[in-house]
Amino acid sequence: MGVLPPFRLLRPRSVAEALGWLNYDRMAYAGGTELLLAMREGLLRPTHLVDLKAIEGLGAVEESADRVSIGALVTHTQAADHPIVRGRLPGLAGVLHRVGNPRVRATGTLVGNLCFAEPRSDVAAALIALGGEVEIASREGCRRMTVGEFVIGPYTTVLAPGELVTGIHIPIRPDVRFVYLKHQTAERPALGVALAVNSHVSLVVGAVGLIPQAFEVGSLSDLDITEVTAQVEVIPDLTGSEEYKRHLVGVYLRRAIGRLEAWQ
Amino acid sequence: MIGVDTVEIAPVINDREMLLSVPVRMTLAEMLRDRLDLFGVKLSCEMQVCGVCTVLVDGQPVSSCTFLAADSDGRRVSTIEGLAEGEQLHPLQQAFVDHFALQCGFCTPGFIMMAKHLLDRTPDPGRDEIVEHLDGNLCRCTGYAPIVEAVLDAAERLRAGPS
Repeated sequence: MGVLPPFRLLRPRSVAEALGWLNYDRMAYAGGTELLLAMREGLLRPTHLVDLKAIEGLGAVEESADRVSIGALVTHTQAADHPIVRGRLPGLAGVLHRVGNPRVRATGTLVGNLCFAEPRSDVAAALIALGGEVEIASREGCRRMTVGEFVIGPYTTVLAPGELVTGIHIPIRPDVRFVYLKHQTAERPALGVALAVNSHVSLVVGAVGLIPQAFEVGSLSDLDITEVTAQVEVIPDLTGSEEYKRHLVGVYLRRAIGRLEAWQ
Repeated sequence: MIGVDTVEIAPVINDREMLLSVPVRMTLAEMLRDRLDLFGVKLSCEMQVCGVCTVLVDGQPVSSCTFLAADSDGRRVSTIEGLAEGEQLHPLQQAFVDHFALQCGFCTPGFIMMAKHLLDRTPDPGRDEIVEHLDGNLCRCTGYAPIVEAVLDAAERLRAGPS
């Protein structure tokens, strides 16, 4: 019986206990939004799910002088509704309110979203533009890197078996102007454009290629739309041909720039 | 061998406290349908896209097709079967009937549970809010317009209080 293949469940009470169990066959489990689907399709065959939900402290959203930290158990809905995220990162809260559908947002975690590294992730594109970092724990210690360094390919991150992403840190930049626009006609976007501007411009074009693609320039006027649409890697699929998607990138980039220029 | 393949859980399902022993691989939809005969929980895409299997867990909508029954331990689960009071339909159910907001009816429990989640938080939603909230629920009879009308009407009935 059952649509899911057999596995055993482990419920660690601390990060240390989880790290003692995690390995190639024992996968971290929180929302299960992507993991359970992959298991159902036979794409992943963990022998154990290491359920993180009983670990205290991973469910927190915290604020320090220069950053907001979001724990590994925080769902899209919880983050989007959290006063700290709404107050300090209103642009990100807006992105999170429109990820997937309300069921996905209520169960799926931000950290899980990044770890799955779905090429069309709204969250990955937005966090790369905002300079987000992931905190990675292992038995050897902790390391931290940018989301751009963490996601290295479609469904691929640098995370090694036995490692655990415990949270995300996002810098608070009061002068940042941020916009995220997406084109979506089905359950995942065909294109996402994240644009963050303060002392420099960080543009991330997501969903059209195998990985979110970042472009850094000095100022908005240095952003050459023709160059970006020509350079961006585009994979044709059911959401559009290469030509169509390149056209979309130009249209949405112009709209995003227009929004930022009108920013009060 | 470490870990468990079965867990004892104590969910509250439609206001009834339950004690169940379930395999950890059992989905919430399997438990509700196969163990508890709650057949208002439908299954279709089984990948969190179509919304027919929507139930509320502690008030939040979840796709029961992709949610472990083990994770319902200690939580309140609401299905379409828990809405009516005896023969008295819930205002959402009555509004769906009155507006002919269903054709084959297969998607209806999911739409109603998702709409309930919206109205529990937003008693006076605008048309756009309803459309956006129900965006992740599919009706293959394409009866979307009357569904939106039904939710608007149900919101009004709920605001007016019990008749």
